Amino acid sequence: MSSIPHDRVADPAAGHGYGHDDHAHHPSGIMRWITTTNHKDIGTLYLWFSFIMFIAGGCLALTIRTELFQPGLQIVEPEFFNSLTTLHGLIMIFGAIMPAAVGFANWQVPLMIGAPDMAFARMNNWSFWLLPFAASLLIGSFFVPGGAAAGGWTLYAPLSVEAGMGMDLTIFAVHIMGASSIMGSINIITTILNLRAPGMTLMKMPLFVWTWLITAYLLIAVMPVLAGAVTMLLTDRHFGTSFFNAAGGGDPVMFQHIFWFFGHPEVYIMILPSFGIVSTIIPTFSRKPLFGYASMVYATSSIAILSFIVWAHHMFTVGMPAAGQLFFMYATMLIAIPTGVKVFNWLATMWRGSMTFETPMLFAIGFIFLFTMGGFTGLVLAITPVDIQLQDTYYVVAHFHYVLVAGSLFAFFGGVYYWIPKWAGRMYNETLGKWHFWLSMIFFNITFFPMHFLGLAGMPRRVPDYAVQFTDWNQVATVGAFGFGLSQLVFLYVVLDCIRNGKPAPARPWEGADTLEWTLPSPAPYHTFETPPHVA
Amino acid sequence: MKPATTQQPLRTGDATRSANVRTGLILGSIALVFFGGVVYAHYAGESTLGMSVLGFAIVGFLAVAIGRNLRQ
Repeated sequence: MSSIPHDRVADPAAGHGYGHDDHAHHPSGIMRWITTTNHKDIGTLYLWFSFIMFIAGGCLALTIRTELFQPGLQIVEPEFFNSLTTLHGLIMIFGAIMPAAVGFANWQVPLMIGAPDMAFARMNNWSFWLLPFAASLLIGSFFVPGGAAAGGWTLYAPLSVEAGMGMDLTIFAVHIMGASSIMGSINIITTILNLRAPGMTLMKMPLFVWTWLITAYLLIAVMPVLAGAVTMLLTDRHFGTSFFNAAGGGDPVMFQHIFWFFGHPEVYIMILPSFGIVSTIIPTFSRKPLFGYASMVYATSSIAILSFIVWAHHMFTVGMPAAGQLFFMYATMLIAIPTGVKVFNWLATMWRGSMTFETPMLFAIGFIFLFTMGGFTGLVLAITPVDIQLQDTYYVVAHFHYVLVAGSLFAFFGGVYYWIPKWAGRMYNETLGKWHFWLSMIFFNITFFPMHFLGLAGMPRRVPDYAVQFTDWNQVATVGAFGFGLSQLVFLYVVLDCIRNGKPAPARPWEGADTLEWTLPSPAPYHTFETPPHVA
Repeated sequence: MKPATTQQPLRTGDATRSANVRTGLILGSIALVFFGGVVYAHYAGESTLGMSVLGFAIVGFLAVAIGRNLRQ
C-alpha cells in the first residue's frame, strides 16, 4: 500500500469534504450515550467499558496475588479464592479484552474503509448496551447465596452442574455477552463487505480491517457453540437433562470438547485484532509499507482455520487415543508457521526503516518480543508428553498471560496511543506514555516470568495455598503484580490529561501514517465519509 | 491508498440497505443453525457427525463469501 499523496487531499485544517460536523444534531448529556447510533460514540463506550472491567478484573487479580504472597491462608477462604480466579478470567476475557477489540473496530473500521458508519447502527447500540447488564450479572453473582461461580472460567461439568446460583447468573451473562458479540460481528462483516469506499478492494484494505473481518467470522462460528454448551449446562442443572451427567447417560468430557471447540478460536479472537493494530503501527513508525501484505492476509486466514482443529491440546490429560494426541500435537505446532510469517514480516518491515520510537511503536515492539515468548511456551505445551507434566501448573498461567496480557493488552495500549490524536483531537504526553510502557514492560515480566519457574517446579494453578519451596518466586510475582496494576494508573492519567489538556493534534500527527482516517481532521468529525472517497 | 479529490456516491441507499440486510440475515442464520445444531446433535446422540457437517458448512460459507468479494 502506498502513502496518501497529501497534495491530492483537501486541507485537513480547513475541514475538507470527507468530514461533516456542521449538522451533528444529537442529544446531549447522558441521553447522547444511551441512544447513540454513531460508531465513534459506541467505540468510545466500548473502550471505557473495557477499561472499567480491566480495572475490576485487575482488582480480583491483585486479591489473588495478595493471598499468594506467602504460603498458608491469609485473607480469603479457599472457596472465595476459586471464585476470584473464575471471575478474573471471565471478566478479563469477556469484559475487558473482547469489548476493547470491538471498541477499536467501531472507531476504526468505518474510518479505514471510508464508510459513513456501521451497517446496522441501531443494532450496534444494542450490542454495546447488553454488556453492562451482563457485567452486572457476573459481578453481582458474588453476592448471591453460594457465591460466584468457582469452577474456573472453563465452567467444566460436572462441577458446574452442581454449583450454586452464581453459576446460573454466569450462564446468563455468557449468553448475553455471546449475543452481543454475534451482533457486533454481523455488523462488522456486513460493514466491511458492503460499505467499502469505491476502489477499495479486499486486498487494498488495511490489515487491521482484514484481521477484524476474520475475527468476526471466528466469533460467528464459535460463540453459538459456547451458547449451546452453556444452554445444555442450564438444562442439566434445572430441567432434568443429562447431556453432561454420566449417571444419566451423558458425558462430562464432551463438555470439554465443546468448550474448547469454542475456547481455542477464542484465543485467536483475542489476538488477531492485536495483530492488526501492530501491523498498522509498525509500518507507520518504520516509514515503510508493511512487508508481505498478502502473506499477512493469508497467514491470518490460516491461523483462523487451523484454530478450529487444535482444541483438544487443552485436554491431553483427559485421555484420548495416541492417534488423536499426535494429530492435535502436530496441528498445534502447524500454527507456528503462519504466526512465524507474521513475526518475520513485522521484523522485515522494520529492517532498514527510518524508525522512531514513539509510545505506540514501543508497545508494538514490546508486543512482538513478549508475544513471541508466549508463542514459544505455547509450542512447548503443544508437545503432548511435556503438556501432561505441565498441565494445570503455573507454567500454563505464565504462557497465556504472555500471550494475552503482553499480546492483546500491549497492542491495545499501542492502539490507543496511536489513534487517540484522531479520537480526541489532542496529543498525549509522550514522556508519560513512555513511562507507562517501561513500567508495564518491567513489572509485567517481574510478575509473570517467575511463574515459568514455579510451573516447572510443579506449583499447581488455582490453589490459595502452596508448599513453602515456592514462596520466593510467589513474592516476586506479587510485588510485580502490584507494580503492573499501579502502572495502569499512569495510563489512565495520560488519557484523561490528553482529553483535557493535550496540545491540538494535526490531521496526520504520524509522518508515516497512510490510511484513510488520517485524511480527516482531528478530532474526526461526528459524521464522516457520508460521500465516500474514491480509492485509486 | 490514494483517495482522489473526486468523490463518487456508493450504491443507492435502498440497494445498500437491502444488501446489508441480506448479509446480516445470512450471518445470523449461520449463528442460529450452529447454536441449534450443537444442542440438537447432542440431543440426538450424533454429535460428531452433526458438528462435522456444521463445521464444513461454515468454512464453506467463509470461503465463498470472501472469494466472491476478493476481486471486487
